[in-house]
Amino acid sequence: MALLEVENLSIGYETRAGFSLAVEGVSFSLEKGKSIGFVGESGCGKTTIGMGLMRLLPDNGSISGGRILFEGKNLLELSDEEMRKIRWKEIAMIFQAAMNALNPVHRVDEQIAEAILTHEPDLERSEVMGRVRELLDLVEIPANRMRDYPHQFSGGMKQRAVIAMALACRPPLIIADEPTTALDVIVQDQILKEIKVIQEELNIAVVFISHDIAVVAEVCDDLGIMYAGQLIEYGCKEEVFGAPLHPYTKALLSSYFALEGDREALLASPEARSFQIDRASPGCRYCTHCEAADKVCRLQPPEWVEISSVHHVLCPHCK
Amino acid sequence: MEMKKFILKRGIEIVIIFFVILTTLFLLFHMAPGDPISRMIDPTMNPEDAQQLISELGLDQPVWTQYLYYLKNFFTGHFGVSFHYGRPVLEIIGKRLPNTIILFTSSIILSALVGIFMGKIAAWHKGKKTDTFMTVGALVLHTLFLPWLALIFIWVFAYKVGWFPLTGIISAEVWTNPNAGFLLKTLDVLHHMALPLFTLFVIHFGSYLLIMRSSMLETLREDYILTARAKGLEEKTVRNHHAAPNAALPVITSIGLSLAFSISGGAITETVFTWPGIGRELVFSVSNSDYPLAQASFLLIALIVLLSNLVVDVLYAYVDPRIRY
Amino acid sequence: MSEAIAKISTRKKTPATSYRTERLKENWHVFRESLLGKLGLILLSIFALMALCSFIPPLIDPMYNPMSGVDPLVSHSVGPSFRHWLGTDFIGRDIFSQLLGGARIAFMVGISAAFMSIFIGTIIGMVAGYAGKTVDSLLMRFADMIMVMPTLLVVLILSSLFGQLNIWTIVLLIALFRWPGVSRVIRAQTLSLKQRPFIDAARVAGASHFRIIFKHITPNVLPLALLYMTFRVTSAIIIEAALAFLGFGDPGTVSWGMMLQWVWKTGNMFQAPYWLLPPGICISLITLSFYMLGRAMDEVLDPRLRSVKQMR
Repeated sequence: MALLEVENLSIGYETRAGFSLAVEGVSFSLEKGKSIGFVGESGCGKTTIGMGLMRLLPDNGSISGGRILFEGKNLLELSDEEMRKIRWKEIAMIFQAAMNALNPVHRVDEQIAEAILTHEPDLERSEVMGRVRELLDLVEIPANRMRDYPHQFSGGMKQRAVIAMALACRPPLIIADEPTTALDVIVQDQILKEIKVIQEELNIAVVFISHDIAVVAEVCDDLGIMYAGQLIEYGCKEEVFGAPLHPYTKALLSSYFALEGDREALLASPEARSFQIDRASPGCRYCTHCEAADKVCRLQPPEWVEISSVHHVLCPHCK
Repeated sequence: MEMKKFILKRGIEIVIIFFVILTTLFLLFHMAPGDPISRMIDPTMNPEDAQQLISELGLDQPVWTQYLYYLKNFFTGHFGVSFHYGRPVLEIIGKRLPNTIILFTSSIILSALVGIFMGKIAAWHKGKKTDTFMTVGALVLHTLFLPWLALIFIWVFAYKVGWFPLTGIISAEVWTNPNAGFLLKTLDVLHHMALPLFTLFVIHFGSYLLIMRSSMLETLREDYILTARAKGLEEKTVRNHHAAPNAALPVITSIGLSLAFSISGGAITETVFTWPGIGRELVFSVSNSDYPLAQASFLLIALIVLLSNLVVDVLYAYVDPRIRY
Repeated sequence: MSEAIAKISTRKKTPATSYRTERLKENWHVFRESLLGKLGLILLSIFALMALCSFIPPLIDPMYNPMSGVDPLVSHSVGPSFRHWLGTDFIGRDIFSQLLGGARIAFMVGISAAFMSIFIGTIIGMVAGYAGKTVDSLLMRFADMIMVMPTLLVVLILSSLFGQLNIWTIVLLIALFRWPGVSRVIRAQTLSLKQRPFIDAARVAGASHFRIIFKHITPNVLPLALLYMTFRVTSAIIIEAALAFLGFGDPGTVSWGMMLQWVWKTGNMFQAPYWLLPPGICISLITLSFYMLGRAMDEVLDPRLRSVKQMR
């Protein structure tokens, strides 16, 4: 049984114009200790998936369909109290460093300790602090900075503190939402390596969300490409990255130029432009930009095509 | 250590501001119409005492020397002699000062604490009946006219139902009774303080409630609140432990900003309730043209406002680690 | 085909409305939908009506004059009657006409003091924000010093030196001590405006500092200044009322604060609710209505505060 199985998940928000779907019919599964990355442009729904998995949507957001099976249990059927117990202990989250993820008026070690004590309230304080120190060691934050306040940390240190906090209860699943955005490239590289090491050593499953496909490809075993709220290509990294089939995936990859290779290849590939999501149209969402689009694409919703057991594409033309 | 430097810096600023106030008052004293000397010396005083006081206060010297005398006298407590009471001004304001401090500090602390507490609750129940009730209530109470509210309270609670005394700080019976212990005397003072304190409280807590409410609503949108929820904390803990401390910071700032307004309100309240404090003394002495007392009272009040500002700044720096470190 | 063309050509052509007009229309819509704004406006209109009608009672009969009216039949404080709708004060003057007169004084004091303090505050704020560095620092320190002073008590001590003050002196003094609040906000606004490219463009085109401030910065700063005017009006009214209450107002003007002083000092406080209640209610309500107006204008300026109805 997979650790996490998401079936046909749909999430939407109440807006002035009515209920608007941000995530539509997304399905994927994640084995224990493996990692999956979700990539897409801003607004494609990837962050919403992360929030939805933890049931931490804002007030105007709601899950309109599907199931989230975590260790066999459907999270959507749990009460608030039961979900609260699962949060952080079973599923933790790593937020973006540039966010104010740490409370400015509390010390860093206190905030990590709080995570531990919430789920293991009977521990002695000295034991908790000992664990906090171990966690900070793990992410290479020196012990003498433990008692600092968040504003005294650099961006990279804050991100590492957030990672340490996520590991506090040794959860089997971690959702990392843009953990390296807004960090400079060198620090980004260090953090990614650390995440990979931690993931492998501690056998933690990771759902990695990013707009940067290069980052995701480095860390993850599986890849899911999102466009306009839908998963459009999904499979193991080697196949999706090495042999992308969906026109959008190809466009996304081509926006990164390889240092070597054919110069013609540079000029020939189409650009992935920003889009206006036209949710009203019944056909494939990408067809307005797609070169291979035909009448069928515009009128009928596309079907999933199985290229191999570890590679699926939402596009009838890709075989 | 940072804190000490901070206090020192603010302390120096206060000294400078106070000097400017002192000097301005001195200049105005000399520019005002009428005879400066008769303003400081009671015309009904006998000539020898008057002459001695004149030389003590340096009123017969040229202006520049007078200024130096003025400063020296201020710092040594020579404020002259009150026309009305016939006693040294220092003695009178010395007696009044503690009364004002008690009333002023308790009213601010009470309003702030209750305002913060209720503002937090109002924000949590935003849009529901509790919130509307609290917000409208705070708004209405906050816009009531202070002297009028004071009169209404006296009329209703002191006159009509007689629960509280009409005036003053102490009851003669209690304090002249040799058997009355400390506790009884304290209770008596508190009994007298209840109405003025309540009046000040009612007028001020509304604004703190409204500020805390909007501050809380903004704080609840912050990312670290999402983190707290993701950690599996109870909503109560998120609200009280994570949101409220951050939301309370702007309230502290606003306390500092409204100190001048609060002390004016304090002076009015003291006058209406005949609470023997510095504010009332100022009003009283100006009505009686008791200039030495008026001047000293005003300067002392200015000093109180400046020092309270310092206290609030220090409090803020203490509570917000971003300032302290 | 020709039918379709005919339909199109007879369709009303929407004129190219300027950006400003569009904004004004939108602002008016937001304001109109604001509950607070509507309430505030209604209350204020009532008070304005009172102020305008304050001239009427003495014209009907000289005994209704708020200051000098003498009713031959009444020489002390009596309750409401048909002759005197709110009763009379301790020497037989009609309370209702005093109340109307008080409305007039309140508007006069409030608006003039507010206008003056906004004027001073805006200029100082703009100069500080625009000039920057030493000038800014000095001006803001000066503003801080003034802000620390309790206006009411300052006017008190000044009246001890200069004698009884008349109403316009009081207005001026209030303005002189209430401008710092405005100047801070205007300064912040000026600072952010200073960064905008159109200021640089003006400077490159050779405009003098003076011209830049008055032609370019002022129009952008005015909406904020006007918003703050609503708050200044209330504080001016309250300060004048408090002064009058304590006995330091202009003895020739009958303001609401003065009415409260009379009911208090003449010992009628406990027996004459018809005299005690109206002035206080008026002061409180006018403060409330200006506050509501200010909040509605706040909603116009800051879209985040708007309700759903205002968004449509």
